[in-house]
Amino acid sequence: MADNERWLTAHHDPLAALYTFSSCMALADLHGDGEAKLIIADLGTGAYNMKLKVYKGTNLMSENTLIDLPTGVITFHMDTTEPRVPAVAVASGSYIYIYKNLRPYFKFTLPTLEVNPAEFDAWGQARDELLDVSMLYEILDSLRQEVGECGLTTRSQRFLMCPDHASQTAFLEQHKGFILKRQTVVTCVSTLKKSHAEDDAISCLVLGTESANIFILDPEAFTILNSMSLPSVPVFLSVTGLYDVEYRIIVACRNGQIYTLKRGTKIGRPTAELTSQPVGLIRRDKTIIVATMDHHLHSFNNKGKRLWCIRLPGAVLCLECLEVRTLSLTLVALALADNRVLIYRDKHLVDTIHTEDRVAAMRFGRFGREDNTLVLVLKGGGLVVKILKRTARFDIQDTDGPAQGLVVKLNIPKKTKLFVDQTMRERENCVLMHRVFQHDLYRLRLSTARSYVQALETSSNPISLSQTEPLKLSAQVLGLGPTFKLRVELQNTSPSSPSLHLAVIFHCDDRVYSVNKSYIQIPILVPGIIHVAETLVTCVSELGISDTVRVFVVKGKASRPLLTALINMPVAEVFMAA
Amino acid sequence: MYKLGEQQQAGTIQPILCVMNCSKKTDTVEIRSNNSVASFKEDTATMAEAPSSPMNPVAETPESHVNGMTATVPPGSAIKTKSRPRKAPELQTVERRNWLIHLHYVRKEFDVCKQLIREQLEETRGMCEYANYVQGLILRQEGKIQESFELFQLCNILNPSSVENIKQMARALFLLGKHRLAVEAYLQAEMKLDKPDWELHHNLGVCYMHLKDHEGAREQLLYALEQNKHQQTFASLAKIYLLENDIPSAINTYRAAIEYFPENAELHTTLGLLYMQIGKYQPAFEHLGTTLTFDPTNTRAILAAGSMMQSHQDFDVALTKYRVAAQSIPESPPLWNNIAMCFFGKKKYVAAISCLKRANYLAPFDWKILYNLGLVHLTMQQYTSAFHFLSAAVNLRPTKGHIFMLLAIALTYLDDEENARQAYEQAVTLEARDPSVCLNYAIFLKNHDDKEGALRMINEFEVRMVKFRQSTGADLDTEVIENGAKLAMLLGVDGSAFHKKSSHTRLRADDEANQEPAKPVNEPPSNSPPPNEDEEISANNNLPGAGIILPLDHSIDPAETENLDKMESELAVTTHMHFKDEEPVMPSGDSLEKDLNN
Repeated sequence: MADNERWLTAHHDPLAALYTFSSCMALADLHGDGEAKLIIADLGTGAYNMKLKVYKGTNLMSENTLIDLPTGVITFHMDTTEPRVPAVAVASGSYIYIYKNLRPYFKFTLPTLEVNPAEFDAWGQARDELLDVSMLYEILDSLRQEVGECGLTTRSQRFLMCPDHASQTAFLEQHKGFILKRQTVVTCVSTLKKSHAEDDAISCLVLGTESANIFILDPEAFTILNSMSLPSVPVFLSVTGLYDVEYRIIVACRNGQIYTLKRGTKIGRPTAELTSQPVGLIRRDKTIIVATMDHHLHSFNNKGKRLWCIRLPGAVLCLECLEVRTLSLTLVALALADNRVLIYRDKHLVDTIHTEDRVAAMRFGRFGREDNTLVLVLKGGGLVVKILKRTARFDIQDTDGPAQGLVVKLNIPKKTKLFVDQTMRERENCVLMHRVFQHDLYRLRLSTARSYVQALETSSNPISLSQTEPLKLSAQVLGLGPTFKLRVELQNTSPSSPSLHLAVIFHCDDRVYSVNKSYIQIPILVPGIIHVAETLVTCVSELGISDTVRVFVVKGKASRPLLTALINMPVAEVFMAA
Repeated sequence: MYKLGEQQQAGTIQPILCVMNCSKKTDTVEIRSNNSVASFKEDTATMAEAPSSPMNPVAETPESHVNGMTATVPPGSAIKTKSRPRKAPELQTVERRNWLIHLHYVRKEFDVCKQLIREQLEETRGMCEYANYVQGLILRQEGKIQESFELFQLCNILNPSSVENIKQMARALFLLGKHRLAVEAYLQAEMKLDKPDWELHHNLGVCYMHLKDHEGAREQLLYALEQNKHQQTFASLAKIYLLENDIPSAINTYRAAIEYFPENAELHTTLGLLYMQIGKYQPAFEHLGTTLTFDPTNTRAILAAGSMMQSHQDFDVALTKYRVAAQSIPESPPLWNNIAMCFFGKKKYVAAISCLKRANYLAPFDWKILYNLGLVHLTMQQYTSAFHFLSAAVNLRPTKGHIFMLLAIALTYLDDEENARQAYEQAVTLEARDPSVCLNYAIFLKNHDDKEGALRMINEFEVRMVKFRQSTGADLDTEVIENGAKLAMLLGVDGSAFHKKSSHTRLRADDEANQEPAKPVNEPPSNSPPPNEDEEISANNNLPGAGIILPLDHSIDPAETENLDKMESELAVTTHMHFKDEEPVMPSGDSLEKDLNN
């Protein structure tokens, strides 16, 4: 396998039971002992059992319970104290929980949003009992029509969800004494160095919220340094630069657009429009790399000009930037739904890692004392740690190139000696062959035509196309024998005129078969309706042979039948067994 | 609900500073974090007491400072909690799972996503807009368009101000084929938008295209292009131009698209094929070449470029290209047809027949393959087989003069003079431009002692030849001219006039013949099969030199191949236009085959 050449599997725990995303993983030296730890915010079951887990090497070092689903985990330096150990920030719901030395330190609450004044008044009046429950419901309902579901506070939304009067009253009683507030939720989180670019310099937090805002937080005072707005909800963030000098935040949003925010701007500038939802966003050097839901990997420059676009062999689950400093290379790893991780250098595929399950999250960086480590969390919860070999190189030419197809030979069917012989024979006797063939062809046509005429003359065809009585007949034989059931379906195919005085007659060799009802009168046949006539036919012959049964359709006292069907009877099973 | 319970369980609220002081072992971490959360809750409660300017970060600043302070002042916060009889009931925001739903949706983990949505909708009694929205998107991906439309309608009721919901409703209507309703919905969405949106106008344009309102469609698509350049929009616009038979405009559209997407193989291929359609082979070849540098396995480009190489007699290069294509589309009839004609050009007739038979197996009703089969068999002197393939081709395409000509040649060899004459007559009437048809007929007539008819035909040949030169600027195949000249000389009467006009060409023809010795060398064996020779000579005894002329029919075949190669490229182009639209062309062919085989 190709991955064995470049990657060592340092750790593999298929039972780690992790449920996480790339954004919920971080690698950092949390204790200042030179050994980087892996921090994973585990979403647990998706409803409870959320944990903040820290791995030291291959061992789980500590676990902290989280009360809500974590959206993202980042490590950052929030002060200048020695030793330089980073704090861990866990974004979850409307809060950012800050941990120092893996102990809870501070909780930041997102600023509340502006409450609709009409809504505020309504609740105020309800508290003062100027409004009763049903009136409040009506006011809020009409307000929802106006501003939409998401324009209301959570309390109004929940109030509107109450199905009956009693529960609405209870809800009002329970909540009316409290201040009305409208909160939002963090959707993505990142860091931005404040004034120095060193690795251990103080960083600000950058938050994207469900209210389509981006906030930059001061790390020391936890005040909002800058608040910017976007046209849609941010999903992925990529931040570069320094807050005090110049910075650039690239945001992929839920409307499938990429926006750029710079120092001094308040509103995101549309940079690139994607035709599908982004699955991951990476910024390296001066290019933005985005994987989209329609199996493409796009590359844009900072201005939004498309540099290249490649089609991927499958759906992308996550994207990770591999910055291999020893090789001064920046690669992009893509986890695909077909249990592979593809590693691209620009638009060239340079490596593939096969895993036994889909990779749900990836993080590359320094882990333990090893610089180039790729941590993979599998869909089934497994944890895999792979170390890049120091001898590994990612040269473009060592991939399987396009020239591969050229070597393959064309699969041309071989011709046998017989073919050659026949060719020679044809060359020698072509005129004769042609004449014989033409002659036989004429005879075949003649005999076909004769049979056709004969069939028409004796009405022995099962479909009558005559103008007066257009009829269609089909017959079925049911049963295993010796008694069979003959089922004849008659249909009048004329557009309007009904058929009268029709009868079905069965005719067979009476030494072989005896027919129960050899004459069946057919009632008036309405056009289009299928009429079924059935009779039993018993095989009376001891010889175990089968014969044919003729079915005639006659009209009145005419001497010639309208239709004829010839039924080849099967051999009775009794005789077959004997 | 669980969370609420948990918080209440952790009722003994310890101030955070104490916790930090008494840190001993890891197993207490859990409780600690809970405690801290509980105390955090207090902070929020205090913070919420300043709602006057909630969005203002300046007002926030002291507040959060206070928060930090309160956290470090344990007794105060503890007293506060006790003094209050009950806590503010924590209401979970309806939108709190949106990010998770979205993340799972974009990763196409629809089962997880649906589970989440179900939980979310249960909890919010179906009121979560985003959950409904994503549910609609997933249902659309699963092909349940009507159901997804209903969900988007629900979203629109929940949030009537959102344009996105109306756009998705319109999209669902479009997918349901209700284009007129979709247009109305899009127009409604447009009214609500404050700034123009590429997607909306593009989709509106496509709707108009399906409603056959090309004018409106073009307008919308051009407007969409003003907003943003997208490949789809360019492609749709070009499609409209093609529907209006305006190939130059379509080409211009693709050229504009290529400026924005210089590495897009698909655009280059389509542009190349369009150039081929209007006969501009040079730019066509350039664009197809560009395609192949970016995507060496693009089969459409390979076939088109290969057929062009074939028409330049560059059979080996074409074959290497086809080899790549054969990896990905081994069941393509045009591919095998073109491969076969490469072998034919290289005089590997058996291989050519093998490949053609495979092509014929894959597409039994393709007259071009049958025609080529007839041609190859004619070259192989298998006149009976040739006759069969040609008559099959004629039945499928009774309007093509060239098939009748080949049929006539086959019939000549099969000694069926009457039918051959009829076939020639048919060929001359149906094919009004190609001079070689007349020449062949003239030779046939002369060999059958109809000098007047032959003269008439040789005159016709001359007229057509002049026209051909005027229209194309190129000259006919040297052998055709040479043989025409010989025949004119034999017929004697009008020969001088013919000679004068074609004398200079004849000279050139001779030069070329010297340069290309391959053709004369190859001819003798092919037209002298031992048994036939006697017959021919005896039949043509009364005409001096007739023995030389009759093989003319053969010598025209190479000329014919040229025409044929052109046809092949036509074939490649036309079939590939089909492929561009929809793939199912192939499966239907297969099923036909199966029917035939059965």
